[in-house]
Amino acid sequence: MRLSFTSACCPSNFSIFTKPSLCTNLHRTVCSSSLSSLPTSLKPQVPLFLRPPVHSATVPDLRNWHDWAKNLASSVGTRFQDSDNGPDSSLLSRELKWLMEDAIEDHSVFSQLGIGNNQTNVRLKAGIEELYNLWKQRIEERRPFQYVVGCEHWRDLVLSVQEGVLIPRPETEHIVDLVADVVSDDEGLREGLWADLGTGSGALAIAIGRILGSCGTVIATDLSPIALSAAAFNVRRYGLQDAIELRQGSWFEPLKDVEGKLAGIVSNPPYIPSDNIPGLQAEVGRHEPRLALDGGLSGMDYLFHICNGAASMLKPGGFFIFETNGEQQCKCLVKYLGNDMRGSFRSLDIVSDFAGIQRFVTGFRQ
Amino acid sequence: MSFLILRKSLRSSKVTTQNPRISFLFSYGSPSFLYKTTEAPSGSRRLSHLIPENPIPPSGSPIYRHSFSGIYSNSLPSIKNLSQFRQSPVILTLFRYFGTEAAIQPSTADGLTVEGILASNWTILDESESDWKSHAAAIAQSIHLIKKRLRWKKLVVRLDLLSMELNKPDLWDDPVHAGKISREHGSLMGKMKQVRAFERELLEHIDMIKLAGEENDADMESESLKALVRMRRNSKEKELQAMLAGEQDSCSCYIEVQAGAGGTESMDWAAMVMQMYKMWAQQRGYKVTVVDEMPGEMAGIKRATIKVDGEYAFGYAKAEVGVHRLVRISPFDSNKRRHTSFAAVAVIPIMGDGSTRVQINESDLRIERFRAGGAGGQHVNTTESAVRIVHIPTGITATCQNERSQHQNKASAMAVLQSRVDQLEMARQAQMNAQHTQSLTDITWGSQIRSYVLHPYRMVKDLRTSYEVSDPDSVLEGDLDGFIMSYLSASIDKDEDGR
Ligand SMILES: C[S@@+](CC[C@H](N)C(=O)[O-])C[C@H]1O[C@@H](n2cnc3c(N)ncnc32)[C@H](O)[C@@H]1O
Repeated sequence: MRLSFTSACCPSNFSIFTKPSLCTNLHRTVCSSSLSSLPTSLKPQVPLFLRPPVHSATVPDLRNWHDWAKNLASSVGTRFQDSDNGPDSSLLSRELKWLMEDAIEDHSVFSQLGIGNNQTNVRLKAGIEELYNLWKQRIEERRPFQYVVGCEHWRDLVLSVQEGVLIPRPETEHIVDLVADVVSDDEGLREGLWADLGTGSGALAIAIGRILGSCGTVIATDLSPIALSAAAFNVRRYGLQDAIELRQGSWFEPLKDVEGKLAGIVSNPPYIPSDNIPGLQAEVGRHEPRLALDGGLSGMDYLFHICNGAASMLKPGGFFIFETNGEQQCKCLVKYLGNDMRGSFRSLDIVSDFAGIQRFVTGFRQ
Repeated sequence: MSFLILRKSLRSSKVTTQNPRISFLFSYGSPSFLYKTTEAPSGSRRLSHLIPENPIPPSGSPIYRHSFSGIYSNSLPSIKNLSQFRQSPVILTLFRYFGTEAAIQPSTADGLTVEGILASNWTILDESESDWKSHAAAIAQSIHLIKKRLRWKKLVVRLDLLSMELNKPDLWDDPVHAGKISREHGSLMGKMKQVRAFERELLEHIDMIKLAGEENDADMESESLKALVRMRRNSKEKELQAMLAGEQDSCSCYIEVQAGAGGTESMDWAAMVMQMYKMWAQQRGYKVTVVDEMPGEMAGIKRATIKVDGEYAFGYAKAEVGVHRLVRISPFDSNKRRHTSFAAVAVIPIMGDGSTRVQINESDLRIERFRAGGAGGQHVNTTESAVRIVHIPTGITATCQNERSQHQNKASAMAVLQSRVDQLEMARQAQMNAQHTQSLTDITWGSQIRSYVLHPYRMVKDLRTSYEVSDPDSVLEGDLDGFIMSYLSASIDKDEDGR
């Protein structure tokens, strides 16, 4: 079976993996994508915790590695924090614990790490050599922990992520709560067609796919083929192939067939002003895809674009929620939606995240 | 007053309550009156219980109100034990019926009761001695202790009261109240039945031993003797269980440890205390999860919360509430001076879904993200997703940072918060009922309960019970049961004496 994405002209097909026999000419295989020059192969990487435990090490070897890794974490102190608000050593120690959780098959080993010289072998999902490398990358290259273990715990999901795919942020979880509120007392929205623009790992699409009713579906789009392959992996892992359709393309471009039919649109588009990109925390700036972060000069290029499209894409009464960079972008967007696009939307609102930063703009199509 | 005398001849047939040969004893009909006695063909009288199959009304159904639910089950175990009679007709059980469950005093065929055994002051010998009187006396003593621990007299009064409540025709107009009453009734009734069954078992074995003596049946005698030894061992377990008869005792719980003033040395002590509880819980077979942990700057913890999952976790752990004091040469003091530090322990029951829990309004909550600085969102990559929830009306807060997603941290913190609010509410109600004189802070953190001295001598001593051990290491490795049991028995037995 070959991984391919249904394009806009095959809307009835809601599966991610399509047999080449049907509408072959309508499918564009990802290999021919213009973004195939990205360094990672398009076969999605399997997160560490899902790999088979085919490696092994003795308890003392594992302990040596752990002690070395712990020391390395301690040596960081607050250095990263002081330079770019990166992780301090206590955070890194916790990550080390989670790395072990993901890498070790049998968790009862943890209690043995402190004591005894047990020579029995521990089954591992990565060789001890690789564990040394992974932790070195974490500390020395500031490779994000989520890329090191290949997954991010987000809401009640564990999502596969890899280089080229934005690691979903905790702030974004709140979008799902807000959507849940909106659909809980509106059957039309609950059973309707939703769009997640710039789906990345598929986080929003999957979480929303799980709260919609049995007839509710989500179309998730992204320009990046790597993001889409990770999203496809995640959608399949949660068995949502029938509820979520992935489409490749820029914003609304692959959604022409559903114009005016959407019950809801969610999006967390790139919103960081271009000037801020060089000063980003190393984990973000050096490792996460610029395509997922850079929102143009003001950071609002895509937010404006999506607002404009939302007016024609949403059905009357349809709901939208967009994530922004903070208070300034929220206010600017609300003003734009209320003034420049007067008459298109109602009940415009700004919602804060748990850190108290104004983060989301919501509203309904008139 | 009426008598139940049952004559029955059974030849080594297995009899269960389902056996058609005995089910005729029970006829089900209108619950409008309690029982009637009828002349059995043999001339002896028989009690028929007109009782519904399920004595606890299904929730919402006001049909069966029962001041009688204990009666028929009372006779079940005796009938079960009929199987042990292999000889010609015998008088099985005789007991008087006064109209309330509690007044039923089981006795042997010749009128011996558990009280009677106690009064006889039979010598209690070692378990290995095959003297039935010794076994019987030991078991009777256990039963006495169990009743004391269950506050038997109060239990009886309370049950009567609940039965009256259950009989009120308008009971189910308030289903929440009715549910509460019927749950409590069921639970108390369960306890009472267990004790009664245990008493009857004892008396029946005595009956049998006497019978075996009369009929020179050595097999039967040794079988019954063995049964008594089993009961005697079992009774120790039952004594323990009786200590944990409180409403929440069987619940899982949270254990929280907070370092006292005194910097790193105190925080290290708090971590040692937490470690002690983790090991204790694991040794008891409980599941332990760290919910929240605030590490100290140099070592140890400022505070931490663990969740202890399993039967009776709260019942045992509640004995640990209070301030724990450590005296030692501090490893953090370069001058090697002796330090005294303190750690406070709180234990919070996690109430089951059956209990009435406080309804928390979403709008009364403030949810905050921890350590959030800077722009957040796409700017930041962090695995830190700790959440703190504040319950604005009570000021109670809960934090969780050990889950890997913010959503899960929030869910965990919410669970802790709910339990704390529930506990506060229970404490408030208890205070209103004037059953407790402790202040609310005492209930949460208590006062100093135990000293751990590592220098100049080595000893752990409980200030409440004076229970002490000279090996602090074993205690710090979780060997706490001695302390817990001695405290539980001291507090409950003392309490009962005072009433
Ligand atoms: C900030 S990420 C959000 C990812 C995911 N929705 C989340 O919240 O974790 C922005 C996403 O938009 C995608 N993107 C960037 N430009 C796009 C475009 N022109 N059309 C569609 N998606 C685009 C990026 O590939 C990236 O996956």
